[in-house]
Formats: sequence, C-alpha cells, structure tokens
Amino acid sequence: MAVTGGQPSLPPPASTPFWYRRSFRNYLFQGVYLIATALVIVYVINALDLREFGFGFLGDPAGFAVPNQWLVDYDGVTNSRFVMYLVAIWSSIRVMLVAIAFATVIGVIAGVSRLSSNWLLAKMAMLFVEIFRNTPLLVQIVLWYAILLIAIPPINEVFNLGDAFYLSNRGIAIPWPVPDGGWWNAGDWMVGVWVGALALAGLAAWRLRAARIEKERETGQPHYPNRWAFSLFATAALITFIALGAPVSIDKPIIEGTRYAEGMIVSPEFTALVLGLSAYTASFIAEIVRAGIQALPAGQSEAANAIGLTGYQRLTIVILPQALRQIIPSVTNQYLNVNKNSSLASAVLFADLFFVAGIFQNKTGRALEMFVLIIVTYMLISLIISAVMNIVNARVTTHRV
Amino acid sequence: MVDRPQPADAGPPGRIVLPPHRARARRPFRDRARDWTRHNLFPSPFGALLTLLCLAVLVALLCGIVWYVFFGADWGVVSANRWLLFAGGFPRDEEWRLWAGVGLVFLMIGVAYGLWSSFNRRDLLFLALASAFLIFLMAHGGAAIWSSIWFLAALGLMLAGYAIAVRVPRDDSPLRARANRIGVALLVLGLPVVLLILMAGGGAGANEFDGFVLNVILAPVGIVGGLIVAIPLAIGRASSLKAISWTCTAYIELVRGAPLLGWLFVALFILEDVIGGSLLVRTMVVLAVFTGAYMAEYIRGGLQALPQGQNEAARAVGLTRRQTLQQIIMPQALRVSIPPLVGQAISIWKDTSLVSVILPMRELKGNADSAIAQTEFLADRIEVYVFVAVIFWIVAFTMSRISQRVERAQGVGER
Repeated sequence: MAVTGGQPSLPPPASTPFWYRRSFRNYLFQGVYLIATALVIVYVINALDLREFGFGFLGDPAGFAVPNQWLVDYDGVTNSRFVMYLVAIWSSIRVMLVAIAFATVIGVIAGVSRLSSNWLLAKMAMLFVEIFRNTPLLVQIVLWYAILLIAIPPINEVFNLGDAFYLSNRGIAIPWPVPDGGWWNAGDWMVGVWVGALALAGLAAWRLRAARIEKERETGQPHYPNRWAFSLFATAALITFIALGAPVSIDKPIIEGTRYAEGMIVSPEFTALVLGLSAYTASFIAEIVRAGIQALPAGQSEAANAIGLTGYQRLTIVILPQALRQIIPSVTNQYLNVNKNSSLASAVLFADLFFVAGIFQNKTGRALEMFVLIIVTYMLISLIISAVMNIVNARVTTHRV
Repeated sequence: MVDRPQPADAGPPGRIVLPPHRARARRPFRDRARDWTRHNLFPSPFGALLTLLCLAVLVALLCGIVWYVFFGADWGVVSANRWLLFAGGFPRDEEWRLWAGVGLVFLMIGVAYGLWSSFNRRDLLFLALASAFLIFLMAHGGAAIWSSIWFLAALGLMLAGYAIAVRVPRDDSPLRARANRIGVALLVLGLPVVLLILMAGGGAGANEFDGFVLNVILAPVGIVGGLIVAIPLAIGRASSLKAISWTCTAYIELVRGAPLLGWLFVALFILEDVIGGSLLVRTMVVLAVFTGAYMAEYIRGGLQALPQGQNEAARAVGLTRRQTLQQIIMPQALRVSIPPLVGQAISIWKDTSLVSVILPMRELKGNADSAIAQTEFLADRIEVYVFVAVIFWIVAFTMSRISQRVERAQGVGER
C-alpha cells in the first residue's frame, strides 16, 4: 500500500522550482533518513567497541561436556567449542522435530474435535485449547518437568520391561539400531550404503505410487498405489539389508551403575521440553485448524453428506484438503515459533544451542559474538522451515482442484 | 462475518414468519432435553461410544484434579510465600501503594466495560470465581486479613466504576462523547499514574519491583511501547520509498529472527554499552522493541487489507497525506488488526515470565523458584508451579475475553 509514495502526476509546469517537486522531496527525505540511520549505526558500532570482535575462540577446546548426545561421536572436553555448538544445534533440532510432529497431530485432532457435533468432545477440546494457550510455555515446561521427576521412579528402582524398555528419573531407554560390521565385518560405511539404497528405494516407490495414482485417474479402476509403493520399498529394504550383510543391529539398553548405556536414551529434560512445546503449540494449531475449516462454505460439508460420505471420509477427502490452503501459512508461523521457543530448554537445563551459547558467554565473556551466532543459527533454521513449508504449500495448493 | 441476531421479521423471503412466541408451541423441558441429548451426545452407536469415552476421560481427570487439590497437594508453600510471589522485594510498609494500583487498574477495567460493553452472566461468574480464589488464598493461614479487605475494596471500585459508566446513554449525546474521552484518558494515563503511585514520595525503587508486580508492570510497558514502535514501523514498511521500507523490513526481520531470550541476553550483556540505564529500563526497551516488530507485522496486515480506494478517495476529497493517514487509513487498519494485536499482548504477558530465566530479575516464576529453594518446601515444586500457572492463566484468559468484547463492539469482521 503506497501511503507515503508519490502518485503518478503530470510533470509540473516549467516555472515550478525543482525543490517543490515530489520526486526531489522524496530523494531529499530518503537521503536525510539514510544519513540519520547511518549515524545511529556508527554510534552503536562505536559504543560496542568491535576491536576484539572475532570468532577465533570457538576453535579452542570446550573443557566441559553436555549430556544428551546422539548420533555424534564426541567427547565434549577435547573437542572445540564449535563442535560442541554443532552438537547443541543438533539437540535443538531434535526437540523441534519431535515437538512439531506431536503438535501437528494433537493440534489437528483438537481443532477438528472443537467442531465435532458431539457436544462433550467439542467442549473438552475447547478446554484443552483455553488451558494450554493461556499459560506461559515456560511455566508449562517446568511444571511437566516437576511432574515427571515426581511421577517416575529413581534409577535404583527402575521400571524394567523385558530388559528392553527402562523408565526412571534418568529418562526412558529403548532399543535402538546402531551401525554394525555385519556378517562381513565391513565397517560402519556399510550403513551409509544401505541408507543410500533405502533412499533410492524410497524414490522408486514414490514414482511407482505417482504412476499408479495416474493410472487410477485414467481408468477409474483401483490400482492400490499405497500398497504397491509400500511393498516395493519393503522388499528393496529387506533384499539390500541381506545383501549388505546386516549392517545394522539393534542395541538393547543396559544399566551401568546409576546411568544407562547403549540404546536410545530420552532424558526427562527432553521429555518435559517436548511435552510443553507440543501441548502449547497444539493449542494454537487447533485454533488455526478450526478457523480454516470454518472458513469453508457450509455447502462443502453438506455436499459431502449428500453423496453419502462417512464423517471420516468427509473430513479427510473433502474438508481438510481444502482447509489446508488457509491452514498451512499460519501453521508455518507456529513451526517458526517452535524453533524460537525451543530456546526455553534453558529452564530445565537441557543443553540446546541457546543454553550452550550462554555457557560459552559465561566462560569467555564474548557476549556479542555469541549473540550473533545465536541469531544467525535461529534465522537459518527458520529459513529451512519456511523453505520446506513453502514446498508443502505449493504441493497442497496446486495438486487438487 | 459474525452472525447478528436478526429481527423477527427478517426471515427468508417467501416464508410466513410468526412472532417468536407463537412460532412453535414450547415443548416440555423433558422432551427438549431428551432430543438435545440424543442429538448432541448419542446420535449413533459410534457417537455414543465416543461420548462414553470422553466422559470416562473427563471423570478420571476431574477425580484426579479434585483429589490433588484437596488431598494430594500441600498448599502450605503457597500461603507461606504469598508475599514473595506477589511482590517479593517490594517494601512491606508500602503495601497500600500496591493496593491503590490494583484499585486503579480494577477501576479502569470496570469503566471500560461499563462504557463500551457490559458484564454478562458468564463474566460475573468468572469474576466471582477468580475473586473467591484470590480471597481464599489471601485469607488462607489467616495472617493477612487486611489484604482481603484491600482486595474487596478494589473490587468494589471496579463495580462502582462499572455502575456509573454503564448508565451513560449509548447515543451521540455530548455526555457520551465526554464519557468516552474520560474513559480513553483513564486508559492512557493509567500506566504512568500506577507507576507514580508505586514509586513517588518514598515508594519502591526501580529494583524493588518483584514477583507478580513485576509482570504486571513489564507487560503493559511492552504492549504500549510495542504499539508506539510498531505504528511508524508498519507505515514505514508499507512505504513506497525504498530506503525506508527496506530498513523497516530489515529491522522487523532481524528482531523476529531471534527468540525473546536472545534479546534479553542482549539487554543483560550488550545493551549497557549502547544505551546505559538500569537493567529494568533496558529490559523494558527490549520488550518494547521486540513486541513492536511483531505488532508492526499485524498492523501492516491491516493496512494491506484496506482497499486502495480508501487512500484515493481521501486524497480526492482534498485531505493531505498526513490527514489521510491519521484520519482514514490508520483507524481502519488498527481496527482490523485488533485480534492479532491482542493475541500479541497476551503473548507478551506470558513472555514476561522469561525475564527471570537469564536476567537477575525475579518475576512471579522466578520467585516461585526461590520459594522451592527453601529447604522446607523442596518437595512442593508442583504446587508452586500450578499456582503460578493459574495466576498467569487468569490474567491471560481475562485479556482474551476482553478482546472478544472489543472485537464485537468495534464490529471487527463485519462490513
């Protein structure tokens, strides 16, 4: 909206001096504005004293270790601060991915339930939304953490399910696949080969599914795209797994003294953070989903009823695909909020990127550098989320009629 | 579009419309209740199953909550730390200042409701429940009977303000115009006057704001400051002058790029070299700057929602650019953006709890942490955090209810 801008107008009469002209005034105004802005920036830079600014300190060893590491071979003490920061970023991303998945599922269910014709269900969904939306996320996270620490047994009274699943105040431990030399003792690179093969198989399955869907459209006969794609993928995965000599084995968790070893360990801090983030975000997503569905003309739902679709079919075939167009941009915003809100990990001392950056600041006094690093990291993650959601949005809005 | 109650004679064309009381003979209550239940709870076997499932979950939850509140929890930690949670380091002798501030805020709410809306039965129920909860809390343990009396006085002020304001006729009379002006002045001046009451003449120092009082001071500063930052930013971002729109966009995206904790980090470690001032002032600046960037985006949405014709028409009738902006564009844009702006206000209210995560300032949640750091209350974490959550919830929920009223009164979504 052009509020300040010049409208196209006739050239002024020759007698008008140039300083009365709109274009000249616009340039003058912008020039003065830019000079003022530049002065402010110079003042700020001067006040911050950037002579010592630099990121060299990230190359020094960190000197301390953080818990909660997966997938990274890392000892925490001799590695550089930079590696440690990368580990922390990976921790943050794990939190985000899990929280986003849970929040989306719970949010869609709650949003649809709010519009249910079942009075009780609708009221319960409303209660969920009103409770979790109007309470600070920070308080929710510390509350979940407090509940978890009281509700679960200490490590010496660990809850043990068939030596495969453990639950205690050290967290949850479950079996987890790890790279293995396999039958041929080939080394960890075999896993890489297998994952590559899986990716190829996935791509092929996706193509097959698309082709089958196309055939379904042309002929009107069922061609079972999902079954075919899944069978192809599963067969390929099994064959390559055997051909490569079983490069992955399942590691069962064990207890060593007062801590777990092996397997996948989900710490109480992580669980509290994910619970808080998912419930809080889900309450917002529920409202977005509800608004998206309510924005559709009532005729859509009535028409779906008229052609005899069941309630579930009406929702998944008619309502949600159309409502997604309005829902996705707002949900993307919520995902970006999850990214930023994951910084609340500090409240339960979970070593996410913000927490680790705070420790670095504490040890080195490099506040400005750490802040620049934090903001660049969060912006990069935001950019990635936006890019992915843009692709999703493009697919959803162009694919269907 | 919000559905407005239609006048009785506005039925669809071609249908005979009877006055409502003759339209259908009222069936007995039992029949209506049966039909309602059948339709809303037991429409089909599957629906009935769903209802029973919900009922089971609900009953289990309710039983759990009731058991916890009355038997499981030990609320001693809350009643012993009332003052710590409420005002913390605020000088105890100056308690009347706090209550005067509460009274003024309550008066503002009462007058605003009386002038521009009205309490309905649900509002009164909520008010009564929240008040009963707070009075129970203050009277629990018996020490602070005066606090309850102060609170009741403040509540009385709210109701009195409401009773007077609601009597002003809702028409175009000069009395109404004057009442509106007084109401707006009360809202605008409220924050500075409350601060004055708290600080002037031997009151609290800037670093003595603590606990819930600190949240209540920080949130309005963030909201009002944010609006002051946001309006020029939004206009600037929508400007056709490249230098201005680009710098405004850069500012907004930069601020929205980092989480609030990151900006509080700046307030603590970096900002002192740039603007100086006490930590409280720097925190307030950061809150305003942070909120401003988000609010600017919502106001820009409002600006974009206006048809271009508004601008053109105003210019065509001879208004200057400034007049167009002030009298035509901004009022409409702000009205459209009320719902997201209130959403942001609620969000900043909740975000005041972040202040104590990295800053050496203790608001409600921070003081809750200090409460459970005492050795006798180490086991009472859940109780304290539940209490903190309830307090935050009451205020946030009230704000969202008020915003729904404002939307309806302003006709947002209509026209």
